[in-house]
Amino acid sequence: MNLFSLSATFPRALAALTLACAALAPAARAVTPAEQLAGYTAQAGAPASPARGQQLFTNKHGGEWSCSSCHGAVPIQAGKHASTGKTIGAMAPAFNPERFTDPAKTEKWFRRNCKDVLSRECTAGEKADVLSWLMTLKP
Amino acid sequence: MKTMSASPVEEAVPAVTHTPAAAPILVWDAPVRVFHWLMVLSFAGAYLSAESEHWRLLHVTLGYTMAGLVAFRIVWGLLGTRYARFSTFVRGPRAVARYVRVLLQGRPEHHTGHNPAGALAILALLGLTVVIAASGWTTYNDLAGEWVAEAHEAAANLMLLMVGVHIAGVVVASWLHRENLVRAMITGRKSGQPADGVRSPWRTVAVLLLAGVLGFWWLQWQGAPTGSGAASPSTAAVQKHGGDGDGDAD
Repeated sequence: MNLFSLSATFPRALAALTLACAALAPAARAVTPAEQLAGYTAQAGAPASPARGQQLFTNKHGGEWSCSSCHGAVPIQAGKHASTGKTIGAMAPAFNPERFTDPAKTEKWFRRNCKDVLSRECTAGEKADVLSWLMTLKP
Repeated sequence: MKTMSASPVEEAVPAVTHTPAAAPILVWDAPVRVFHWLMVLSFAGAYLSAESEHWRLLHVTLGYTMAGLVAFRIVWGLLGTRYARFSTFVRGPRAVARYVRVLLQGRPEHHTGHNPAGALAILALLGLTVVIAASGWTTYNDLAGEWVAEAHEAAANLMLLMVGVHIAGVVVASWLHRENLVRAMITGRKSGQPADGVRSPWRTVAVLLLAGVLGFWWLQWQGAPTGSGAASPSTAAVQKHGGDGDGDAD
C-alpha cells in the first residue's frame, strides 16, 4: 500500500519543486553585449583593449588549456568541448545573438572558465578586454 | 502490492525482533551492496568534479551512472530479496514518528532491515538523485535557463546534507544496537534469527550491474576527444599507445 502512496506523492513533490524553482528564478534581465562591456569597463576604470583580449583568449597561460581549446581560436563558429566533445555555440555576439545578453550567465561562465584556464577568476578589465575583442568579430 | 509472490523470498513481514542475536544471517543481497557503494563513489566523484570543465566528462558520466543505478534500484525494490524491497521498508509517517520517539527514550526498536527513519532517508536520496540527474541532463543539453542549473546545485547540496543525516543515523543506530552497520553493508551480514535471513545473495545480478556500469564508463571514455576527462598531454600520449582498460581508471 505504501508503494501506491509513494508513487502518488512523488510526481506531486516534483511538481512542487519545479514550481518552487520557477518562483526563485530571478527575472532574467536582458541586456546587450555593449551594455555589459560598458559595465566591465566602468568597473575596471580603464578602456578595454581587443588585442589584449585576443591574447588572453588564445594563450594557455602556462596551463593545459586556453579559452580557444574549447571555443576555437576565432570563436565565430561552434566550438568543441576539450573534455566531453560536446558542441559549444559561437561566442562572438555577431554570430550568436544569445551571447552576453544575460549578466548572471556571463558572470557564471567567466568565473568557471577563467578558473579552468588561469586557475583564478578574471578581473573586470580582463573580461572587458575579451568581450571587446569578441565584439570586433563581424561577418 | 501483493504481486511479488514470484520473487525469490517468502512473505514480506517487517522484521521487528527483540530477541537477542543468534547467528550471522544474510540481510543485504549482493545487488543492494554493489548499488550502495557505486552510489557512494558516483555521488562523491560527481560532487567533487562539479566545478571544473577539466572534469566535466567525469562529472556527467557519474551523473548518468547515478540515474542508471537508481533505475536499477527501483526495479530491485520491486523484485529483489526481502530487505531490498520497498514493501518491507517503506512505512508511513506514524511508524517513523514512533521509531524516533522510542529511540529518544533510549530503547530503540530493532529492525533487521532498514529502520523506518533510515528508510525515509533512503527514499529522499533516491528522489533527490532523480531530480539531480534530470536537472543535470537538462542543463548539459541547454534545454532550459540558468535556473535549472541553480536547481541542480541546490538539489546536490541537499543530497550532501541527506548523506550526512544518513551517515549520522548509521553511526547512532550502530552504537545503540551494538551492531556495525557499515560492515553489514559490506558483508551483507548481521546477527539475527536464521529464519530472518535472505537465502540467496543474487551475485549474478550484482556482477551484471557492476559490468554494466564499468562498460558504460569505458564507452564514455572511448567517445571522448582525448580519451580521458582530464588527460594531460602526457597521459593522452600513453593512452594513444595502449588505450584499453583505462575507462575505469578514474
